[in-house]
Amino acid sequence: MTTTSPVATGDVIRVDGLRKAFGDLVAVDGIGFEVRTGEVFGLLGPNGAGKTTTVEVLEGLQKPDAGSVTVLGVDVVRDPQLLKPRIGVSLQNAALYPKLTVIELLDLFATFYPKSRASDDLIQLMDLGEKRKARTQDLSGGQRQRLSVALALIGDPELVFLDEPTTGMDPAARRALWDIIANLRSEGRSVLLTTHYMDEAEILCDRIAIMDHGRFLELGTVTELVDRRFHERAVRFDAIAGLEDGRLSVMPGVSSMAREDGEIVLYSSDVPATIGAVLGAAEELGAEPGNLGVRRATLEDVFLALTGRTLRD
Amino acid sequence: MNALFRLTVANLKSFVRDRAALFWTIAFPLIFVVVFGLIFTGNPVPTSYGFADLDGSQASSAVKSAFDSIDGVTLVDGSKDDLLAKMRQGDVSAVIVVPSGYGASVAGGGAPVTLTVYTDPSQSQADGRTRQLVGFVLGTINQAASGRPPAVVPAFEAIQTVQLSYLSYLIPSILGMSLMQGGIFAAIPLVADRQKLILKRLGATPLRRWQLVGSNVFVRLVIALAQTLIIVGVGTLLFGLETTGRWLGVGFFVILGSLTFIALGYVIASFTRTEEAANGITQAVQLPMLFLSGIFFPIATMGPVLQSVARLLPLTYLGDALRQVMVDGTPFAPLYVCVAVLLVWLAGCFAVSARFFRWQ
Repeated sequence: MTTTSPVATGDVIRVDGLRKAFGDLVAVDGIGFEVRTGEVFGLLGPNGAGKTTTVEVLEGLQKPDAGSVTVLGVDVVRDPQLLKPRIGVSLQNAALYPKLTVIELLDLFATFYPKSRASDDLIQLMDLGEKRKARTQDLSGGQRQRLSVALALIGDPELVFLDEPTTGMDPAARRALWDIIANLRSEGRSVLLTTHYMDEAEILCDRIAIMDHGRFLELGTVTELVDRRFHERAVRFDAIAGLEDGRLSVMPGVSSMAREDGEIVLYSSDVPATIGAVLGAAEELGAEPGNLGVRRATLEDVFLALTGRTLRD
Repeated sequence: MNALFRLTVANLKSFVRDRAALFWTIAFPLIFVVVFGLIFTGNPVPTSYGFADLDGSQASSAVKSAFDSIDGVTLVDGSKDDLLAKMRQGDVSAVIVVPSGYGASVAGGGAPVTLTVYTDPSQSQADGRTRQLVGFVLGTINQAASGRPPAVVPAFEAIQTVQLSYLSYLIPSILGMSLMQGGIFAAIPLVADRQKLILKRLGATPLRRWQLVGSNVFVRLVIALAQTLIIVGVGTLLFGLETTGRWLGVGFFVILGSLTFIALGYVIASFTRTEEAANGITQAVQLPMLFLSGIFFPIATMGPVLQSVARLLPLTYLGDALRQVMVDGTPFAPLYVCVAVLLVWLAGCFAVSARFFRWQ
């Protein structure tokens, strides 16, 4: 088994035909993709989409039922131990030794790796200085999450897997982590992260795969995904009683529509014509379209159009 | 192996910081030793005997003063019928009847005279003590009657030796019990770590599984040796336990026994998913074993069915082996049989858990 250097141009992850089922439940249903060196790649999807299973197969924690998985040039199914010294992992929901302190845990994990970063640097990086000597059982959810990311970085990894890294963090900590991830990329490391936060994916990821029911629905940069789906813009307003879908969807310029939380979204290639038709229809019904607005389509719209659901569902 | 060493230190820290674990492995057996020690050493419980003197001679009052002179024995005078009634009510534990004509018989040196002692064999401890005391007193009198100086002075210490030897019987038992509990519970933190995905997280590091298991087992052996030191130390210093000093043998069986029960704990961990379930099943295995293995009472006193169960249990042989090497106890099985049985259990449990233990 040769271990190619990931710093050279090329792919850090190559997945082909990956499939994994747990009993009757097909968690991952034949996906394939590549992650390039120095890239931040996002797996985006609702809970249960198969993101975590995919990541755990890539980390060598689960054996796939079918497909080939090469990470950092290592055949993960055959030689997971060759891969582990070179990757950093933050698992979703994984607890830590509850009776050990933050510094003890980092120092312990440092001994597992052939080369490691200084524990105190990571404590500073993840803003855990005040909790340095606190037992992990006494940390808040957000602090635990930050410690989990620190542990992912302790082995000075070439490739970092972050599974829902910002879950449970407050907005300030989330933004701080975004900076850290951007910094990892500028250091030439590659990152694969899963998230169900649209804004996170839009800001952080070079490329994104949208995943649902174990399959990829779309894959590309944020701009590609949005443009591929929508040359249109989104016209939104509060739902009006008596204004039916049948009428809305044939309005001028409208290519598709969606209802979401008492709001109507019309994807339109001719915004003035669409708005005119909406105002006319509302007047007939003696109503006014409340909170009328126009915006560029986002990942959220892509996801909504692909699945008929919002991500947070 | 730096990672292995640090992981072991981390495990030890986790153990020491877990007050419940500390209590059950260190304090609990210690309480056993102290409580049993206090019960079975200390002064003999005062015993009172009814004494019916139907003879009223000088010889019969010599018998009375012989019993009277024994520490912890009180004599109650009365008629035979009164005293037997008192005994039935539990006021005296035995009644000694000196027949009329006793003095004449002793002086005459004719046919042996019979001194009747009423005891209750169902009160085995009191009954045994009575029989020993009576034997001791009559032995002294017979010896005096023979007119020759005593060749051997029978020591009243005979009674204390009986009690000390029960403590000697108990200390290896308590040690065996502690080793079983410490070992069989060893895998529970592992089940908890698996449930909390700590094992999965460690699986994503270069740490090897053998290092994880090796560290867990090593920590348990350290704890087992600490338990041994504490139990034997307290038994010796506080209660005068006399050991053979064959510490190499003791250490060997402490380690072999611990490994066997650690392996048994891993078997339980292989078939349970949650910490609660593992705890429950571990209790369900260890409690019956505690009572069926005969470590707290001789196997010979069990019925035939229970005896054959006891013959299969590893704790039976660990307790027996510890008793043999530590205090020269009466063997139930030869030492090589103890080693063989423990090794068979160890190998069996190892094979089963190696096959069925799940890491996720």
